[in-house]
Amino acid sequence: MKSRVSQCYKPLWYAAVFSELSAEQSALLYRLSVHAQRFTSLVSIELPNALLLEIKGSLRLFGSLAHLHASIDAAWQEFSLTVRSATTPSTLASLWCARAGHAVLIDDPELLSGQLRKVPIVCTAWEPKRLQTLSAMGVNYLGELLRLPREGLARRLGPQVVLDLDIALARQPAPRRAFVARERFRERFDFETAIESMNFLESALHPLMIRCAQFLMQRQVGIQTFELQLRHPVGPVSRVSIGLSSVTADHRRLTEVLVQKINRLSLIAPVQAIELISGPLQPLFLDSLDAFEGLNRVDKQAVPHLVERLRARLGESAVYGVCSMAEHRPEAAWRRVYEIQFGCARVLKIADEGMPRPVWLLSEPLLLSGDSLVLQQGPERIESGWWDGKGVARDYYNAQVSGARLWVFQERQSKRWYLHGLFA
Amino acid sequence: MWMPRESSLAEILADARVWKLKDASAVPPRPVWSTGSKSLDARLPGGGWPSASLVEVLIDHAGLGEVQLFLPALVACQRAVEIPWLVWISPPHEPFAPALAQQGINLDRVLVVRPGSATEALWAAEQVLSSGVCAAVLLWLKGTDDRWLRRLKLAAEAGGALGVLFRPERHRFESSPASLRLLMTQGAPAAHIELLKVQGGRPGPVDLGMVDFGAS
Repeated sequence: MKSRVSQCYKPLWYAAVFSELSAEQSALLYRLSVHAQRFTSLVSIELPNALLLEIKGSLRLFGSLAHLHASIDAAWQEFSLTVRSATTPSTLASLWCARAGHAVLIDDPELLSGQLRKVPIVCTAWEPKRLQTLSAMGVNYLGELLRLPREGLARRLGPQVVLDLDIALARQPAPRRAFVARERFRERFDFETAIESMNFLESALHPLMIRCAQFLMQRQVGIQTFELQLRHPVGPVSRVSIGLSSVTADHRRLTEVLVQKINRLSLIAPVQAIELISGPLQPLFLDSLDAFEGLNRVDKQAVPHLVERLRARLGESAVYGVCSMAEHRPEAAWRRVYEIQFGCARVLKIADEGMPRPVWLLSEPLLLSGDSLVLQQGPERIESGWWDGKGVARDYYNAQVSGARLWVFQERQSKRWYLHGLFA
Repeated sequence: MWMPRESSLAEILADARVWKLKDASAVPPRPVWSTGSKSLDARLPGGGWPSASLVEVLIDHAGLGEVQLFLPALVACQRAVEIPWLVWISPPHEPFAPALAQQGINLDRVLVVRPGSATEALWAAEQVLSSGVCAAVLLWLKGTDDRWLRRLKLAAEAGGALGVLFRPERHRFESSPASLRLLMTQGAPAAHIELLKVQGGRPGPVDLGMVDFGAS
């Protein structure tokens, strides 16, 4: 039975196999995959020497499959690498056909078995032992393998072979592969002599940050996290981790936040080298690239960026929001909010609590001598929380002392008076 | 008493040596937010707290109704301004969320900032005031020099926010670039308020009448 996914969306996979590429050159695959991102956002690196591109979505842009396929083939020319490519509705079929050097170009899953029949089994890149078993069985081409009964295959060669064949025939989607280019920006700068001043550090950071931003802009992606590593002549590496409130590719913003953060550090040892490592690349929301943003329109990111700057210098917990809670005990009727919501504000509901609440709440109620109090309003009885062991039984009053308005309560059991808030 | 003649303005404008500042009409007037007290509004130029400026409140004892003086303005500017954030820097106690909500403040647009030192508080205030994305900024400080206050004033003017600085009374006799300075002292039955400096207005004590703080 076909899965739901394949019924809704039939992907098309372009495979490129760079047979000259040795294992040591696999870093080049990353460059190639970035290059391939101009055709599709779904690029997968298939070590040691291949790339897979999901190109169904780009088909309309290029008009026809033949045209798109040829355009991608042409894109490798500037690397002077020999490439063999194939496009089929299946990941493995494309890879296998490309390895076999069969320039297959089909979008109909029904045609897969016909194409795969002529592919030598070595192109599956299964482990040598399994390939030896197959050749001992007299199986040299996939066509011979496909004729064998499934049950026997699974028993003799393991379930993986059957699964791979199903994937190759597009009877199974290939969910086990994450088709995301796992790319990072990573660049290191070595100082000629170890530096001890933050100023030098800062000036070395700027070019790194600019290159990082260029790297991101070229790919139309941004980052939300990154790390700066400070390498010392001896001892462990110091790490400065930055988390941003939103995805960005703006080097000024990246630098600003980083500089705020490192200004709070004291260098424990001279720095020999710095290395900037980006977090995972993420799609950039286009409104942050909008060049025509009107002067009168308020930048939606301005508040998140402000919070980010403040937190970078003052610490994460130094900036928070507040919200009120449905709870009678005043100390539990509010709480700090560290996950600040910058989006739409909720519709305001004014809770009618009866007696007014004071603007300042003391973090701990303060014991008072009740004699000097002039009670003006009250009591409001608050009796709650017996279920969680922090139960209260209090009578709250508004009181006045030489022009100051106080929020006080009397504990009903002990009859003692406490100051709990100030009507500032 | 000297009285201007009716035609004097037209005559002056007709004079070729007088240049009209064309842009003057293009700049929208800075909004002014009511204090919630008619007698205080009447004493302030424009009839309320001016945005894009720094207001200084000298006060030694928290709880005299010093925040209440600004709450109607905070509510109004939150509703009127495109990005209605209110920022409270180094408040002496925790701003009690249910009280703010009761007064009509949108809690989703309130930030509390707790810097570790006075320098950091000033830095944060400057950042927030000049960001242009905050409607009002309230800052509590133990003390600071004139130079820093000038920076805050410039930041408030650039960012368009209402900046309110609360400081102890001992700074009363120091010069201050704030466009408005108030002194709040204890008194019975209500606290005393004195305008120490009013740019474009008249200083002196203010009688708020029987404003019932917090009972709105």
